Amino acid sequence: MLLELSRISKSFGPVEVLSEVDLSIDAGEVCALVGDNGAGKSTLVKCIAGIHAIDSGTIAVEGDSHEIGSPRDAAALGIEVVYQDLALCDNLDVVENMFLGREKLRGVVLDDDAMEQLAAETLESLAVRTIRNLRQTVASLSGGQRQTVAIAKAVLWNSRLVILDEPTAALGVAQTRQVLELIRRLADQGLAVLYISHNLNDVFAVADRIAALYLGRMAAVLDAADTTQSQVVELITSGRSNGLGITDSNGVQP
Amino acid sequence: MARPATEELRRRNRSALLDRLHRRGPQTRAELTEALGLNRSTIGALASDLSESGHIQETTGRPTGAAGRPSTLVECVPEAATVAAVEVRWKRLRLAVVGLGGTVLRRDEVPIAPGADGAAVAKAAAALLADAEVSDAIAAVPGLVDGGTVAQSSELGWADRDFGADLESATGRVWRVVDVATAAAVGEWSRGDAHGVANLLYLHGGHGLTAGWVVDGRPRRGSSIMLGHIVVNPGGQRCRCGLSGCVEAEMGTFDFSETIDETTIAARLGDTAAREMVRRSGEFLGLALGAVVTATNPDEILFGGWLRELYLSSAAAVRSSLAEATLPQLRARLRLRTAALGAQGPLTGAAEIGFEALMERMRLMWLARQDSNLE
Repeated sequence: MLLELSRISKSFGPVEVLSEVDLSIDAGEVCALVGDNGAGKSTLVKCIAGIHAIDSGTIAVEGDSHEIGSPRDAAALGIEVVYQDLALCDNLDVVENMFLGREKLRGVVLDDDAMEQLAAETLESLAVRTIRNLRQTVASLSGGQRQTVAIAKAVLWNSRLVILDEPTAALGVAQTRQVLELIRRLADQGLAVLYISHNLNDVFAVADRIAALYLGRMAAVLDAADTTQSQVVELITSGRSNGLGITDSNGVQP
Repeated sequence: MARPATEELRRRNRSALLDRLHRRGPQTRAELTEALGLNRSTIGALASDLSESGHIQETTGRPTGAAGRPSTLVECVPEAATVAAVEVRWKRLRLAVVGLGGTVLRRDEVPIAPGADGAAVAKAAAALLADAEVSDAIAAVPGLVDGGTVAQSSELGWADRDFGADLESATGRVWRVVDVATAAAVGEWSRGDAHGVANLLYLHGGHGLTAGWVVDGRPRRGSSIMLGHIVVNPGGQRCRCGLSGCVEAEMGTFDFSETIDETTIAARLGDTAAREMVRRSGEFLGLALGAVVTATNPDEILFGGWLRELYLSSAAAVRSSLAEATLPQLRARLRLRTAALGAQGPLTGAAEIGFEALMERMRLMWLARQDSNLE
């Protein structure tokens, strides 16, 4: 397993947001994380990304347990996060954005040609045909194109796990389709993808496994091929479905 | 008596080398030596044969950044051998002339009258092709194809039409007729993302629904599946094919080929009727797919044509009903994907089928470049 979370707990003051959450993600698969508002999806992501420190539990990357204390630690482990409000600079062009903070140098000057070629190769490998000019500023791109740049940026850095937090929430229908195909292609190229979404259609379109959080606890992790939409809806809304899901503290399923 | 055998071996090797360059693009001699498992001097001799006949050329290599002289690249000359691919659609006829190596040399499109018969379409194809010199010609037709005969096509309204003969009398050359879905499956296998998928199923959404099934990239005779006419609701809507309750009739595919965009956008924006329609269509598609998966056990299913939009908008419904209609063992490793080549898939695949035949002929006899007579 590329990433293994075991018994992750996190509280904000008296509020327990995550309670002994287990989750593992393998390379080459898309794992969708679903749950109602406040179920703890974003908190879990922030724990993996090193933004929040976990209270207890372990995070293991390729079998070795790691302490992730800051986003820098996460990046060093090959974990990239693409946030809902994409962290791109409007006044820089596509290539500059993709290499922001990690520019390639030739001697003391920027190696623009090499960066442009690498960026073009990355987009090509993801079969991105929507961005023609790599030297246009990000301000001139559409929402879908921005999302594409943000995702491609994650691939460029030899990441092993890409976490996408609601990547299609603000997109139109045609752009959503492109981003869904892009997510699938990331995993088919051997990356692990953790995909957070509210839209079950999008989840079923790309996911290999579906993890459902319910009030900070992991209700179930299911194979997308073995499950149905109504099962997932039940797990999201009540935490259990026909023998699956959370049992009460006395071990009885009501 | 050793000569013929040597000559035959050489022909086979030449064809293998050209086939590799055609499929994988420009490569260095060293890469070719490794890939084909032949001696370095043999590769050199084959390459000089092929460059003398005009099939390949050697160019200055790509910069590697490393020190030393960059090794030269061997690549196909697109114009050395060309294949014409024609795709017949409802109201449209599309042509691509594809050169060796997969380069598209010419694309064209003409409208055809809805309900036009085979002879009229063949005439349009002849006009579109004009006097282009091609070594093979392939036509992709939506429907059930057997040899040169279109046995049934609900999209074109043809039944038992010998389209191969129509084309031959209009253009004066032999054509091979394949169905659109099979052609697209071959295209996705050879030039799309699905390379290396042993058992590939391509679903094509046109005016009707068809599926093509290729094993190791090769279509077999009778490999087109009439997906649209699988009965999912016995006694349901009457279909054009004469049955009742076919997927096609239940989904209303005749409209979907025109309205899929509006319907899926409306569904996304929350229109209740559109949502219900998309959900129901997805469920019926999943049910029909269940039957096909159970029968063929594919490794990967590609959604092409407007089925891409439908699948991405109703994946939950499709997969839910597929999960209820197949055995766990069959669906555990099944991958559902959208087609990478999009609308170009059928033409790309049809051309590849033509090149496959061309390479096969080269294996059997030495073909000089079409426009010169070096041998």
